[in-house]
Amino acid sequence: MTASTFADTPTPAPAAARTGRRPAMATYARLDLRRQLRDRIGMFFVVGLPTFMFLVFGLGSDDPIGSGNVAMYVMISMAAYGAVTATTSVAGSAATEQVMGWGRQLGLTPMRPVAFVAAKAAVAMAVAAVPVVAIFSIGAATGARGHWTDWVLSGAVVWLGSALFAVYGLAICLVFRGPNAAGIASGMIVVLAFLGNVFTPMSGFMLELGRLTPLYGYVALARFPLTDGHLPVAGTDPLWLPVANVLAWTVIFAMLALWGVRRSRART
Amino acid sequence: MSTPAIRAVGLRKQFHSTDGTPVLAVDDVDLTVHPGEIVAFLGPNGAGKTTTVDMLLGLTRPDAGTIEVYGTAPGEAVRQGRVSAVMQTGGLLNDFTVEETVRAIAALHGRTDRVEVVLERARLTDLAGRRVEACSGGEQQRLKFALALVPDPDLVVLDEPTTGMDVGARQEFWRAMRADAALGRTIVFATHYLAEADEFAERTVLMARGRIVHDAATADVRAAYGGRTLTFRPPAAVVGADGIDAAWLSRVHDALAPLGVTDVDVSAASLETAFLALTAELEGAAR
Repeated sequence: MTASTFADTPTPAPAAARTGRRPAMATYARLDLRRQLRDRIGMFFVVGLPTFMFLVFGLGSDDPIGSGNVAMYVMISMAAYGAVTATTSVAGSAATEQVMGWGRQLGLTPMRPVAFVAAKAAVAMAVAAVPVVAIFSIGAATGARGHWTDWVLSGAVVWLGSALFAVYGLAICLVFRGPNAAGIASGMIVVLAFLGNVFTPMSGFMLELGRLTPLYGYVALARFPLTDGHLPVAGTDPLWLPVANVLAWTVIFAMLALWGVRRSRART
Repeated sequence: MSTPAIRAVGLRKQFHSTDGTPVLAVDDVDLTVHPGEIVAFLGPNGAGKTTTVDMLLGLTRPDAGTIEVYGTAPGEAVRQGRVSAVMQTGGLLNDFTVEETVRAIAALHGRTDRVEVVLERARLTDLAGRRVEACSGGEQQRLKFALALVPDPDLVVLDEPTTGMDVGARQEFWRAMRADAALGRTIVFATHYLAEADEFAERTVLMARGRIVHDAATADVRAAYGGRTLTFRPPAAVVGADGIDAAWLSRVHDALAPLGVTDVDVSAASLETAFLALTAELEGAAR
């Protein structure tokens, strides 16, 4: 009879008692967001640098442009730059986390990959909102002028459109694997911002070339409510041009990311 | 008989190395582990331990064979929180604190109530506010262990759990594991530290080149392949600074008994002997 006491080790709970615990995705996303916002160097490039550039290039520029002034134009450009830097770096960090083995740790939780992507997207959009709110607030307080619809529409395009660069960040990190990939993605944003007519108004051949680069369409679209497509140096962009640019690059980045995911899966 | 904790039949997994040649990482592995067992996976690097662990956790799909954990697919058992692991390749996020790391994983398991318990269990309560990057290798390993305890699993799989720990930390870790095993958890661990298998596991599964070459009680593995060794202490007079007197040794060879040998001690060979004998045997057969 004593043998039964030995066999009487705690038996595993029935499976039914264990199911029904749902991942608290909001808690996870909140912790992840806090971690991102705490990264001082990262946040300098997301908020500090674009704010600084707005103060240098945009502050007090009251020359008229479209339905507002130059300060408004620069404000939208710099907010867009900050938002794009944010989504790129969050997406890049997501890819780096996978490389570092955190993905394997997450693979042992009930969270599905789709939920992970959704949580990261939420974090990326939350971080992207920080420079938009900060720079638009400073702009509003320091004399950026425009019709109220310009403010609303531009803000919405800047914020929502930055999602495209989350796909970009993911694609770059999947293509250039390794710990430097996120840095490459962020560094290329600076180059693309110059080419995309974000920092300094371009003309001639550089403008022709710039129209084909990914940041051009996004920023042109964000400024469209203010400028109606009129360029600061000379010329006009019809609305279809930035729209076509954004759609084309969305397809290109998405396909690159898909190819990267397939390639990384093929390894194992 | 209750449902086995692990039931694997005919497991096989092949990889392609960088030059394209196929490598059979796991070759026809059969394994059954019952609830409450403590089993060591012992083998040299490249023996297929980690691949087997990955299949056990549903992170790698076997090319052939079946594997069930508590009667369900490994992935499902993971989702139910019945099995968890400390993985060799599992990473942590450097800019989380210890507590945030546990909170994040606990949130995903829907077990935020377990945060304090597992921190306590892995003796991390005092380090809760420390950043992961500031933790030593042993502390990070303990954090991974804490994460494995979050879902309160029935089966814990440990892949080289004490890597990066010094001797003291290692002893401390196994003390904690023993306490946990006493509560009825099934523990499977992969190691290449022979002493860990020897001291901690009741049962040892020896792996080499993707195959299970021996699977028995740890004491039996040691006995079956190690044989016995006779040790004795020679009289002090023949032991010099440069070893035992050669002339005396040759007389020992001639006849043991009348030479005043005292304190004859018969001891079992170490598990290491068994391990080396087994893997060498297999290497020889492969050639």
